[in-house]
Amino acid sequence: MKILSPLDSIEEVDELAKAGAGEFFCGVLEDSWYEKYPVISINRRPAGKGHFRRFEDLKEAVSRAHARDIPVYFTVNEHYYTNAQYDLIKWYLDGAVDSGIDAFILTDFGLMQFIKEQGYPAAIHISTGGTVFNWRSVAFFQQQGASNITFPRHLSIAEIADITAIMPPMETTVFVLNSRCINIDGFCTFQHGLARKEVLPMFKNACMLPFEVQVCSRDMNVPFMLQASMIERQRIWERVHVDDHPCGACAMYEFQKLGIGSMKVVGRGNPLERKVLDIQFLKRLLDMLDGNISRSEFYQISRKLYQQTYSRQCRSHMCYYPEVMLDGAGGT
Amino acid sequence: MEQALYIHSTDQLYYLSEDFTRLYFGAEFCERLIPSRPELETVLRIVRERDLDFTWMTPFVTNRGLGRLEELLPVLAQTCPDAEVVVNDWGVLQLLRSEYPQLKPVLGRLLNKSKRGPRIMNIFNQIPPSTQDYFQGCNLDVPSAVRFLKQQGISRVEFDNLLQGLKLEGTDGSIRKSLYLPFAFVSATRFCLTANCDDPEKMDSIGVFPCGKECLNYSFNLYNPVMTLPLIRRGNTVFFTNESIPDVVTGQQVDRIVIQPELPV
Repeated sequence: MKILSPLDSIEEVDELAKAGAGEFFCGVLEDSWYEKYPVISINRRPAGKGHFRRFEDLKEAVSRAHARDIPVYFTVNEHYYTNAQYDLIKWYLDGAVDSGIDAFILTDFGLMQFIKEQGYPAAIHISTGGTVFNWRSVAFFQQQGASNITFPRHLSIAEIADITAIMPPMETTVFVLNSRCINIDGFCTFQHGLARKEVLPMFKNACMLPFEVQVCSRDMNVPFMLQASMIERQRIWERVHVDDHPCGACAMYEFQKLGIGSMKVVGRGNPLERKVLDIQFLKRLLDMLDGNISRSEFYQISRKLYQQTYSRQCRSHMCYYPEVMLDGAGGT
Repeated sequence: MEQALYIHSTDQLYYLSEDFTRLYFGAEFCERLIPSRPELETVLRIVRERDLDFTWMTPFVTNRGLGRLEELLPVLAQTCPDAEVVVNDWGVLQLLRSEYPQLKPVLGRLLNKSKRGPRIMNIFNQIPPSTQDYFQGCNLDVPSAVRFLKQQGISRVEFDNLLQGLKLEGTDGSIRKSLYLPFAFVSATRFCLTANCDDPEKMDSIGVFPCGKECLNYSFNLYNPVMTLPLIRRGNTVFFTNESIPDVVTGQQVDRIVIQPELPV
């Protein structure tokens, strides 16, 4: 099992590799795209940090990563692209391939078909936007030529196990750290980043906004406490996407047994220090899995290490796989 | 213009008037609400009696939901072999293509990724025309996307009535389009806020947990001024209402209207 790390610059390659990154994912956003599409990214990250700004830099980063036997995956994972965008997109795909990237991470079926038809010498990885919730979806993307799928955040460990037990051969990726998303990425059509950070209601993810809630009942008989409890529940919901160190590290124990290939750390745009901290945290746990450790021991150690690393207690709404907290041994 | 009625329960059959020549039936967003075999058989009987065309609505599914559909699809294929099946899951499409090639797959709203978030309307008049075109468009003007759909046997795609308007002029005419009125879906989850909503002890259970199908009793209006209009949560899905008739209807770029008399599930 490898740690799939975000990568934003040449300078980060060596530090993240030393920390334990086994794969990189990244994107490029140049001014030409942003001038034409100021509130639409090519890769689901807003303009600013979180991107390479030039393909020359990407090429150097890929070269350094490859020298360490670390593959680099290129994100072109917006949910759809229109025909008017394809001249620019082709320029990006060509630039990525010239830079030596190993795979495209994508969602849009039109782009998937385009990449296949163009014969680009890079693998196709299906992003979480591909909404693979069952084994037949894995089979579908295998038939389309994909070599890796990222499972959605919205599958339980047991459901992932059900899929991997009967799916055709396919490399798999799961989320384990940062940016727990309350809506299903591939089914969420809210547009984020519609203004700069100074205009928060337009910049923030829609699910993080404070909504007033009004309960409507089919029989007009709303239980007395339901209105109040739904308001409170909505407030909890709004905090889920807050990047307060959401984590699924305990589930690494099961994921290794299931043969999951990659653990994705969300975090394009995070400072290097944060990225290194995240990768080191997971690498220490990953190394423990190589020994003869029991599930309960691993859960205890991972929770203790989480608390030490991030100065946070485990919390149900920040837990990627909260079913592990129902098995006892801590958490609130 | 074909008019279809879209219902998710046999209780809603009373909406079926002579205005409709096609019936949509099924669950679109939650596998726990896939109708039972007796319900499907009841609806198929009425479809036959009234000589209606039929479209079976399917949601995105885990292996468990896939199993439910695998139980029902033989009934559909036998009783109504020329039925359409709206797919909102690539695995369901794979199932149809491999096991039921006579059924006609339709690309559902969840796999049509147009941006629906109402906040777009706050800036729509301030963004470049290229960006406006993106928000009003879709990938059906991309030749490779159309080739992909045709390879998959898909010749119809389902659309929501976007607040920013729909531009379909450049899309391939051989792919037919349906427009859903008046409810447009915006986002869906499996961390369902409606699940167990009347159980205070499960207040912070935000994950994939069992539920009591509370969505059949409750929906929730959601207000935030930046959204420009109220959102509605039903079950695991957020919607908005748009009752206006868009240009794509008068311009005949869609050939089917799908009427939702109630919020779908």
